[in-house]
Amino acid sequence: MRGKARVRAAIACVVMALIFTGFSARLIHLQVGKHEEYTALAAQKHSIRLTVPARRGLIFDRNGEILATNIPVRKVVVDGSHLNNAEALAALAAPYLDLSEKALGKELKTSSKYKVLFSDLPEDKALALQKAMEKKGLRGMYFHQNTTRTYPNGPMLSHVLGFLSRKDPEDEHVVGVEGVERSMQDALCGKDGFRHIERDRTGREIVIYRGQEQAAKNGLSVQLTIDMGLQAILETELDNACKELRPENAIGIIIQPKTGEILAMASRPTFDLNQINSAKPAGMKNRAIMDMLEPGSTFKIVVVAAALNERTVNENTLVYCENGSFAYGGRILRDHHGYGQMNVHDILMKSSNIGSAKLALMMGDEKFYEYVRRFGFGERTGVDLPGEISGLVHPPARWDKLTITRMPMGHSVAVTPLQLAMSMAVIANGGKLMRPHIIQSVKDSEGKEIQNFAPEVVRQVVPAKTAEFVSKALMEVVTERGTATLASVNGFAVAGKTGTAQKVDPRGGYTEGKYVTSFVGYLPAEDPQLVCLILIDDAKLSPSVNYGGLVAAPIFSRVAEKAARYLDLTPASRAEALLPVAMRQTDPTEFRQ
Amino acid sequence: MNSMTLTAGHRSSHVNPIHLGSLTRWLLLAFAFSACGLLFVYVKNQQHFLGEQTRQAERSIREVRAHNEVLLARISALSSRSELQRKLDQKFITLQPIRDTSIARLVPPATAGNDGVLRTAANERLSP
Repeated sequence: MRGKARVRAAIACVVMALIFTGFSARLIHLQVGKHEEYTALAAQKHSIRLTVPARRGLIFDRNGEILATNIPVRKVVVDGSHLNNAEALAALAAPYLDLSEKALGKELKTSSKYKVLFSDLPEDKALALQKAMEKKGLRGMYFHQNTTRTYPNGPMLSHVLGFLSRKDPEDEHVVGVEGVERSMQDALCGKDGFRHIERDRTGREIVIYRGQEQAAKNGLSVQLTIDMGLQAILETELDNACKELRPENAIGIIIQPKTGEILAMASRPTFDLNQINSAKPAGMKNRAIMDMLEPGSTFKIVVVAAALNERTVNENTLVYCENGSFAYGGRILRDHHGYGQMNVHDILMKSSNIGSAKLALMMGDEKFYEYVRRFGFGERTGVDLPGEISGLVHPPARWDKLTITRMPMGHSVAVTPLQLAMSMAVIANGGKLMRPHIIQSVKDSEGKEIQNFAPEVVRQVVPAKTAEFVSKALMEVVTERGTATLASVNGFAVAGKTGTAQKVDPRGGYTEGKYVTSFVGYLPAEDPQLVCLILIDDAKLSPSVNYGGLVAAPIFSRVAEKAARYLDLTPASRAEALLPVAMRQTDPTEFRQ
Repeated sequence: MNSMTLTAGHRSSHVNPIHLGSLTRWLLLAFAFSACGLLFVYVKNQQHFLGEQTRQAERSIREVRAHNEVLLARISALSSRSELQRKLDQKFITLQPIRDTSIARLVPPATAGNDGVLRTAANERLSP
């Protein structure tokens, strides 16, 4: 009896021992064998890498006026595994999110741990919704920090500033895709930080379990050379011109010739940076650097400067202008008026096509081409804006027999408006070609300057003496004797050149009755402070009045007058008192570089 | 009688004495362990509490900062050139000419010549 009891007790002990051994084995298996797997699973469920977004840098004009800034918003994210009452949450959140309860309820039926509902919910709405959720004990919807870009001036300077867009529809990150936003993307964007956090089952962060952390590095601010005062003047005048003339495009540029700083740049049509979705592609193009066109007579400064510098002619050389009709290469080249003998000064002042063509013929195609390139045509100016094109200047090997006579008057060549303005800046700046730039400096969030963009001389195109001679001829263009009387500005000596070119047909040849008119000039002529280009593409006017001197010159005058007043330039004497000195008093050898 | 005496004597010889020393040691050890445990729980709770406070403080700072940025953006929008132009057009604000006598110039302006054409660039149309 006693033996049986002992056996039973022994069996019970063995069974108990086996059970506990089994438990122990299972425990060891879970804790040791499956350690990695379950740790990863727990981490996946509760640990997340939270991105701390960097604040994008601001953009200022040269006087510190804010041109692009950020508005904090919240990104609304739903974690399907944390939702405790989707119906109640839909009912509560729908009014805040401007969605119907039904639509939101549908969105909330998700098993995804990260579903973005909105990327730019206003901060005040997000906070109010968050508090309402906490009050009702609802969870599963989170509000992550985010920012949206805003441009206080709306459509003003839109082509220069550019805008942001998603690089990839699947990617939430936005990058600059046009303008300064794109060219300065690396400086503006900063670097996102991160923080490894753990959440409890309600989704709240457990602060003491915070892991590795890296603070966000905010983007740098960019200061432009743009002066919004001048920009406003230019844009107002372009808008007025567009209302009056209804052109296809209108372009305006103001440059400080001594430094190459772009003070204002505008194109029409335009678009509102804050309503990018309603913008039309044609309006989003920065035509000042992306359009190329035949410049017309404004190009004559190149052949005159080149011919003088190469001593092909001197100030006294008379060129026979064929009384307005010059047969060359089987075609007739005409002037608007018949001129006889003219010196280079008068050729420029009267804008003689035949005179310009003859100067180029006397110089030869290779030399003329060299000067065209030296003035910066046929290559990108290197302005710090994306999408700049180089224009089109064929080498002499590809010229036909007429090119040598057509190019001096601004045909058979395609240039960008910025190249045209910079070529005039060469004359205004004593023959030096500056690199145009629009970025003045890069600063950190405390306003400390990190990088400064100093003026850069590209090359000395022609000697100062040659530039001075051309400048004096250009001053006469704006007098009663020249072609652009309407470009004059009271109290200031203005130098400039008109341009009228028949519009190129994309299918080949020229479009009948359509003209690109322009005026590019500077003031005060004796000490240039600004170069201004006005270009009107296809003004709806009769061909008999569609000339640079009648269309673009008055706009230049209004812009220049207001700009002079804005910059508080001190007027000198009238232009008549600044007429060029007699050319016979100068030494022709001085024109040679 | 004998058996009773024997029983009593046997019991007294088997009474386990209480060793106060070791008992105290064990009790102290147990108390120390439990105190450590409680302290651990207390410190842990304190950590969570401070963590929660940190989270709340961070949230408040974030909200204030965001509110500040919203207001700054609103100020720049309301003081932008286009907004001021709109207010000017709607006559909410007006421009008052600055009299020439109120302008201090570093460079004296050139005076008008006999022909009356030469004028200062500033305020030429606004001077009384």
